[in-house]
Amino acid sequence: MALGKAQFGVSTFFAASHSNDKCGANGLPLTPNSIKIVGRFQHLKTLDHHHICKYLDCVRGRHERLMIVQEHYTNNLNLGWKTGKFQSEDNLVKLAFEVLQGLYYMNQHEVTHRNLSMDNILLDTEGKVKLSNFGMYYMTNGGAYVSFPVGQMCYMCPEVICSGPVQIDEETELPVLPPSGPKVDVWSLGCIALELISGMKLWEGVSNQQIARNVLVFLKPDCDVINSICTELKCVEKLQSLSPYLNDFIRKCLTVDPTHRPDPSELVHHEMFTVHKLKQVSPRNGYHLFTSKLRCKDLELPELTENDVELDNDHLSERNMEEVYYLWRLAGGDLEGVLKKAGMIKAKPPVTILPSLTLDNGEVLGQGRDQMELLDETVVLLSQDQLRQRLSDIDEKSYYKLLEDESTITEGLPSSPSNVDLNDTASLPLVIKEKDVEYQFHRVILYERLINGYPYKKAHIWKEARVDVPPLFRNLVWAALLEVEGDIQAQYDSIDKETPIGTDRQIAVDIPRCHQYHELLASPTAHAKFKRVLKAWVVSHPEYVYWQGLDSLCAPFLALNFNNEALAYACIKAFIPKYLHKFFLKDNSPVIQEYLAVFSHLIAFHEPELSNHMEGIGFIPDLYAIPWFLTMFAHVFPLNKIVHLWDTLLLGNSSFPLYIGVAILKQFHDRLLSFGFNECILLFSDMPVIDLQQCVKDAIQIFCNTPKSATYRQHAKQTPKKNETRPNVSYYSRDYNEKPSNELSMEPLTLDELRSEKCPRISAEDLLELGEFIGNANTRSPTKKRGNGKPLLLVIDVRGPDEFKRGMIPGSVNIPFQSAFSPEGDLVTCPAVTTLKQSKSLVKVVVGSRGRNASNFANELVRLDYTRVCTLHNGIDVLRHTGILSVPPPEI
Amino acid sequence: MSQRGGAQRPNGAAQGKICQFKLVLLGESAVGKSSLVLRFVKGQFHEYQESTIGAAFLTQTVCLDDTTVKFEIWDTAGQERYHSLAPMYYRGAQAAIVVYDITNQDTFGRAKTWVKELQRQASPNIVIALAGNKADLSNKRMVEYEEAQGYAEENSLLFMETSAKTAMNVNDIFLAIAKKLPKSDSGGQSGQRPQPGVRLNEQNQASEGGCCK
Repeated sequence: MALGKAQFGVSTFFAASHSNDKCGANGLPLTPNSIKIVGRFQHLKTLDHHHICKYLDCVRGRHERLMIVQEHYTNNLNLGWKTGKFQSEDNLVKLAFEVLQGLYYMNQHEVTHRNLSMDNILLDTEGKVKLSNFGMYYMTNGGAYVSFPVGQMCYMCPEVICSGPVQIDEETELPVLPPSGPKVDVWSLGCIALELISGMKLWEGVSNQQIARNVLVFLKPDCDVINSICTELKCVEKLQSLSPYLNDFIRKCLTVDPTHRPDPSELVHHEMFTVHKLKQVSPRNGYHLFTSKLRCKDLELPELTENDVELDNDHLSERNMEEVYYLWRLAGGDLEGVLKKAGMIKAKPPVTILPSLTLDNGEVLGQGRDQMELLDETVVLLSQDQLRQRLSDIDEKSYYKLLEDESTITEGLPSSPSNVDLNDTASLPLVIKEKDVEYQFHRVILYERLINGYPYKKAHIWKEARVDVPPLFRNLVWAALLEVEGDIQAQYDSIDKETPIGTDRQIAVDIPRCHQYHELLASPTAHAKFKRVLKAWVVSHPEYVYWQGLDSLCAPFLALNFNNEALAYACIKAFIPKYLHKFFLKDNSPVIQEYLAVFSHLIAFHEPELSNHMEGIGFIPDLYAIPWFLTMFAHVFPLNKIVHLWDTLLLGNSSFPLYIGVAILKQFHDRLLSFGFNECILLFSDMPVIDLQQCVKDAIQIFCNTPKSATYRQHAKQTPKKNETRPNVSYYSRDYNEKPSNELSMEPLTLDELRSEKCPRISAEDLLELGEFIGNANTRSPTKKRGNGKPLLLVIDVRGPDEFKRGMIPGSVNIPFQSAFSPEGDLVTCPAVTTLKQSKSLVKVVVGSRGRNASNFANELVRLDYTRVCTLHNGIDVLRHTGILSVPPPEI
Repeated sequence: MSQRGGAQRPNGAAQGKICQFKLVLLGESAVGKSSLVLRFVKGQFHEYQESTIGAAFLTQTVCLDDTTVKFEIWDTAGQERYHSLAPMYYRGAQAAIVVYDITNQDTFGRAKTWVKELQRQASPNIVIALAGNKADLSNKRMVEYEEAQGYAEENSLLFMETSAKTAMNVNDIFLAIAKKLPKSDSGGQSGQRPQPGVRLNEQNQASEGGCCK
């Protein structure tokens, strides 16, 4: 929902704290209630209706403090009722109708207000109802996670007062008794309506005990509730003077027996509203991503009125509330600071809150209860001035960015008013970019449009994602990069996630240990979602099984799509075949072994010295790299790093993770070289701090310097997509296996073959293309070209001189294997060897005929620390039919 | 943690032998293998210890009279599926700790399976210890002490109930293993490095004995 004239308000309260050292049934400490609340709160953020205030954020402070940010208006019914406006029946009916619509909407999303009062019925600048604070009952799990009661006594219906405080089953986190349902709010609405009619407050100044007694009196069989309340409010006659419809409505609201009391869904159809010609305005058909419905179906465009024209100057108000709040925080918004300023948080010297006595068992005595810990429902306004100030210089046009404007496409990012080119900001480190309000503003505007244009804007999203991904839209951008499409919700709903399966125990023990430092993922809500998503994947992929590590893999998607399990599931479902094809087979060992063998080749190709050292001490990838690749590094890095790593990973092809692996080793190059086996393995058993941005940069560079066929894997996904629709032709994201193979392509090798060779093989296609023997157009794995047109490779022919003379690859040098090495293992000097030694940075392709000479020669080169050594798959014979072989010029 | 001071004594101390042993931890997942190692090696306990994928490696040194014993500890993944990797780690190990969770009978059954496999396939002189972990949760106990002790005696295993959380018996079990290990000259050699490509079905691969290479 757009910001409009809404303001942001923050309120704060404390979650109930657990007693010291108390442990749950599993021996683990109890999850703090504040974490549980944060978990449950997330659902509230999804509620979006024109008669409720949008929830924006829930932040944990110190000592179980929570800060809740919600859309806010300073006017509310408590202030507005004295004007007498609502004593008019028309206005009252309209008010009731709007409240009911808000209640009905939240009920549809499994939320009961349970806290309805005059304070919580806000009135926006046009006097429309906006229900506020309706999430307290929901987020605290019926009040179980806080030490204060939720709701005002005088508006509580008899059954709520009878049921007493909520009790929670510690194992299941579910209330022992069913929580209050929608009908309790209807009672409160009835009370409020009578107050408005009478112009008086019900039981003002009466103690809570007395109120409870008064309400319980209503339970007597012959009690006339309306009459006794009206008598109390002195409005018996007033009510009688009003229409019979309104009388009926109030009587229905104040039905004592909840089974006979209607709920909001029924009451919105009350004839009182028909008489007053009030209809529900169906919310505008907002466009939703990932649906099979036509996006233009039933689309209602708002009519442009004169008011709108006036509003036009405030461009920020057109933006989505969540976006504005996100920018507000970037512009220096500080919740705790605002609350401190308002006196809602007072810092006390710790010495004043020490207990007088602490017993052995941790029990404390004489610790006065801090007044600050009591519930104060005050909402403090969050001023938008600072944000507006920061954005004040931004050109109006930037709010309505044109995607198809060619000038912006060629120029890249627009320049900002402060005359700092945003392209400069774009090249700054991520941590800075992500905190730069102006930069994020432009990114958010752009991406919001691109995402709404998905999948048609897929290519453009790919292009922008190579610059960076704004945190606000990361989940959707990732989904776009993974090419998630279709009605994902229906797909997800159709999967049975409840029936017990054999993997349940494993999932149940893994989830409580997976990224639990992350406050969202640590909540019981998260655990339940986590379990469902994992089960959904296991159940719908019978060819695969659950391997430990799948949980880590799933965590980033769940954390980003906390309120959209279906999308989290769709992402993991798309991610696994792309990067971890067959990794989750029951017998995945051939797949992983091949992957690791190729990884070893890649290390030898780029870091031969390191490769020789590590192999020498027995520090092989099998010992450290399995958790890297099986979880795409999600097991070894914290989530805040994973998201940045995956921002790039998702742009790469299925081999890209291998390059990240090499880049990580490269970063520890010197240390690893000086380490023995134990130090090496200890280094990686607890992943040391690495410069991730450097790592990503290196990975891309390494990728560009490697022929694509060098990472060929027979277990990688083979079948090219039918009717290729991918618009992106990004060099980085294309897979070797995407195009059909021919006789010049790579072919499957056995594991023994792979292991017997130290360096990768490349295909004849790559050789032809890198050597520029044929044009680019015919190859299926184009290689990044260098600008200067210098050769990219040196072909070393290791056949005997006679064979070489009968047909050789143009430009190749001949170093016959038989005479190449001295008894000490060094290369025997000759002109060809000199050329080799001068070609340090070139890709060295060793070519032989059948037999193992070429690979043995290449192994020797690796041993001598030559970089970028590879062999030609199938040797010289594969080139016979290409017509490129020639006879060397006669020696002069 | 009396020996932790001793652990910092330089390896090259002149007063005694230095022996190096390879030790492997096996057991069902979430019984506390990694937590035991972490408690032993770093004296720490993480409530939400992450699951182990593949295996983790740590070392710790303890002093026994005049001998310095250095453990090279391989902490393996517990999930049944990772079973195929296990021989790579227990092959050539001189000691193993098989861990179960005293609050879960199934994990004890799994521990017995591990013991059998070790007796069949690991080196014949391997010292096996059985650890009933999570002893701090004795009110939830499902595996009786006597039952496990009886089983350990029948199979000549070292046995202790441990708690990585309270540190109960953690150092003791490693010390008990250190005492039982032969500290002949051959014990001074490092354990065999894990090798890739071990085939699960190769029955007698590991039975060649302790220290080779």
